[in-house]
Amino acid sequence: MRALEPWVEQPLMTFLTESEARLTLLMTSAGQVVAQHGFTRAVDIMSAAALGAAIVSSTEEMARVLGVRPFRALTHQGESHGIFLSAFETPRGRWIGLVVYGQDTSLGLVQLFFDRMVDELTQGVPAEGGTKQVLAQDFESELHSSLRALFGR
Amino acid sequence: MSLVNFTAREITCKIVYYGPGRSGKTSNLQYIYGRVPQDRRGKMVSLATASDRTLFFDFLPIDLGSISGFTTKFQLYTVPGQVYYNATRKLVLQGADGVVFVADSQARRFDENMESLQNLQENLLAEGTDIRDMPLVYQYNKQDLPADLIMSPSELDDALNFRSVRSFSSDCLHGSGVFETLKGVSELVLQKLAAGAPA
Ligand SMILES: Nc1nc2c(ncn2[C@@H]2O[C@H](COP(=O)(O)OP(=O)(O)OP(=O)(O)O)[C@@H](O)[C@H]2O)c(=O)[nH]1
Ligand SMILES: [Mg+2]
Repeated sequence: MRALEPWVEQPLMTFLTESEARLTLLMTSAGQVVAQHGFTRAVDIMSAAALGAAIVSSTEEMARVLGVRPFRALTHQGESHGIFLSAFETPRGRWIGLVVYGQDTSLGLVQLFFDRMVDELTQGVPAEGGTKQVLAQDFESELHSSLRALFGR
Repeated sequence: MSLVNFTAREITCKIVYYGPGRSGKTSNLQYIYGRVPQDRRGKMVSLATASDRTLFFDFLPIDLGSISGFTTKFQLYTVPGQVYYNATRKLVLQGADGVVFVADSQARRFDENMESLQNLQENLLAEGTDIRDMPLVYQYNKQDLPADLIMSPSELDDALNFRSVRSFSSDCLHGSGVFETLKGVSELVLQKLAAGAPA
């Protein structure tokens, strides 16, 4: 498991143990990964997050256009796997959870423990710090050499 | 918004390629995908119609390696350029850290460039962002076409580039200018981060 911020780890850990989900991804509504469990390649996680955020945002937009209430969660029941997608509010903004589960658990359990995780997450948020210096002002030469290396120049 | 992880020293930035239909946004990503070594890029996700028009977005994550001690990743997105798809275009623009405006240099496509630029400004504003606060570069694409069909970079600068942002001429089929454009927008995005990001 990897979490962007340490306080996310415990609620996610509890969710994983109790729900027996196989893959779990927490992301911002813009599709940036916050925490994950079960993926191997970082770049694949990003694609899953981008698609998950796209599904949630387009479904919400569709609800708005149709004039119906936004859907609380989206699920897809496959033969051996199910996918569960749900957005929720945190003091850090709107987040999305993407869960893939197998036959050893059920949608009902996933939903139940997901809701508990959301409660824990929203209660456990620490206060945000002030402004920190991120990159040295002279990062440009490093950026240039990274990009040149990427493009094989 | 860029995600900065101080514990793992990781930065993830979202860069959106914007512009009118068929200006070459998807072609930018395809060229980058073809040039970046496999271990430094993810799969390219393309949600397109059967005729290769972008329906929702293209997505390509790339790994820049370490910059000032931070593992830096870029997520490149394209929007669908067709006017019809504004609802999805807005969704893709959400949370962008930088924008590349890909203009079609063909003279007959001038009005579409103008419209798309206005649309960018409106969609940013709807999200509460003033276009002047967004790291933005222009790319004048299809400069490989015959001179009588296209406008020159300086003509395009005069006609479209009111804020004098950095502009690059390009030919996405052969790749000239693609790298320079990405470099240009990356610099702006990281400069903004360096100027101070919320922890
Ligand atoms: N001659 C020339 N053709 C180009 C160039 N870049 C792109 N094209 C062609 O223009 C057409 C449209 O390119 P795309 O990259 O799909 O355009 P797009 O901006 O993604 O279009 P939408 O998805 O509809 O918004 C394709 O046939 C490309 O091969 C260029 O620099 N020169
Ligand atoms: Mg496209």
